[in-house]
Amino acid sequence: MSDNETRARRDFLKLGGLGLAVGAAAAATLDAQKAAAQSAPTSQLRTVLNRGKLIVGTGSTNAPWHFENDKGELTGMDIAVARILAAGLFGAGRDAKEDLSKIEFVKQDPASRIPNITAGKVDIVIQFMTVSPARAQLVAFSRPYYVEGVALLTSSKGKYKTHKELIDAGKNAKASVLQNVDADQLVARGLPQAQVMQLDTQANAIQALDSGRSDAAVIDLSTVGWLVKRNPDKYLDSGFHYDTQLYSAAMRQGDPDWLQWVNTCLNVAMHGHQTEIYDAAFEEFFAAKPPRRVPGFPTI
Amino acid sequence: MIQFLINTLPFLWQGLLVTLAVSGLVVASSLVSGVLFGVGLVYGRWWIAWPIRVYSDILRGTPLIVLIFLIIYGLPLVGIDFGNYASAVIALAAFKTAHVAEIARGAIQSIHFGQTDAGKAIGLTFRQRLQYVIMPQAVRRFLPPWINAVADAVKGSALVSLAGIVDLTLATQQVIGRTYDPLPMYLLAAAMYFAINYSLSMASRRLESRFAYVRE
Repeated sequence: MSDNETRARRDFLKLGGLGLAVGAAAAATLDAQKAAAQSAPTSQLRTVLNRGKLIVGTGSTNAPWHFENDKGELTGMDIAVARILAAGLFGAGRDAKEDLSKIEFVKQDPASRIPNITAGKVDIVIQFMTVSPARAQLVAFSRPYYVEGVALLTSSKGKYKTHKELIDAGKNAKASVLQNVDADQLVARGLPQAQVMQLDTQANAIQALDSGRSDAAVIDLSTVGWLVKRNPDKYLDSGFHYDTQLYSAAMRQGDPDWLQWVNTCLNVAMHGHQTEIYDAAFEEFFAAKPPRRVPGFPTI
Repeated sequence: MIQFLINTLPFLWQGLLVTLAVSGLVVASSLVSGVLFGVGLVYGRWWIAWPIRVYSDILRGTPLIVLIFLIIYGLPLVGIDFGNYASAVIALAAFKTAHVAEIARGAIQSIHFGQTDAGKAIGLTFRQRLQYVIMPQAVRRFLPPWINAVADAVKGSALVSLAGIVDLTLATQQVIGRTYDPLPMYLLAAAMYFAINYSLSMASRRLESRFAYVRE
């Protein structure tokens, strides 16, 4: 038998297998493990299912995204998204502990997000990663799971509390912000006349507000939500949110099955019938509720 | 405030243990390999001395962080992956080895060659000359710069936090990431690093005085 014939027979068998799989899925008796065997043999989806564990690259130093709680457990919105994937992969989902036991977290610096994907050290990176066309040349992004923005954190002891008061203060208002090439413009889009104070970390920008050296900290919207929820008598949200950026999970390029599966799982968790984990995390970490899902025309 | 600091201590304690473990591994392995390399540099034939010279010059001329990332991300490209913890320790140890080798070389070469000649004159073999004549004297000159290098290794171990290893530095950042209150945490971490390094320099002073005279 020539090689070609062998291959043709194998392809025929594969086709047959696919037919069987479709039939079985229709009968709803096929488990994910078997279906994965039908995906491309090199897909990460198959590797993850065979391993029985999802390896997630993330950080541990940024609340409310990925941080250790008072008990030393990793938690946050990114961790919740990892849990959504683990529940989808291994059919758990009722119990957070059970889901998390199926995840191996690789703690990494934000600078290691792309290298750890390309070096194959992680299956997926879920670490408040901003989608950009430049990064999308290097990694495959999932659908966004949050739209980050910029907000102005003010102090309940401060002179100016709302966005209007800050605007009216004009040049007298001081805004602290994380040092960046376009930090001046970033502040100016929210407070056109305010004095800008650039600091080396977001934590120090907040520290400046605490110590009264600035009137507003120009920081991530999610951080404002988190701080106001935790310290309602200390911090205020000035009420003005602007500048959007998309947060997505990132994977290795060239693996459509894996990417498609992650997207499907996130769609179901954000818009479908399994929104419990996402909604609970959204409320816990951002002190807000996702909009009500309306049946009928798909909005996703 | 005090209560807050006490609450964070268990987290920092775990990090401190990792810092001590990493530093201990690096110091011990670099001491052994560094002294061997140093002896090779001074006494080795060209085919021993030259590769060590090249190794030492390249390693000392490379930023430590580049070396760490090279081992963590470069080696997996050719199919070698030690894992992040081992990679970081190997990088730190390789870097420190080059420094210790130079300290050992300097210490040995600072002993006047008349000592070697005298050893030869009374018929001591190479090993005996090293063991009884050169090394006991060289050790005194080796210790002070070596203790400096050890303190440097402890501080340099903070770089493993960039590889996601939760040492004292990353443990500190984790607490800051939760509380958004950096200053007390940095002070606490600084105090811990100081405690390690100050005890090291105390130990070094004792060692130096212990080796300052030749026992009969």
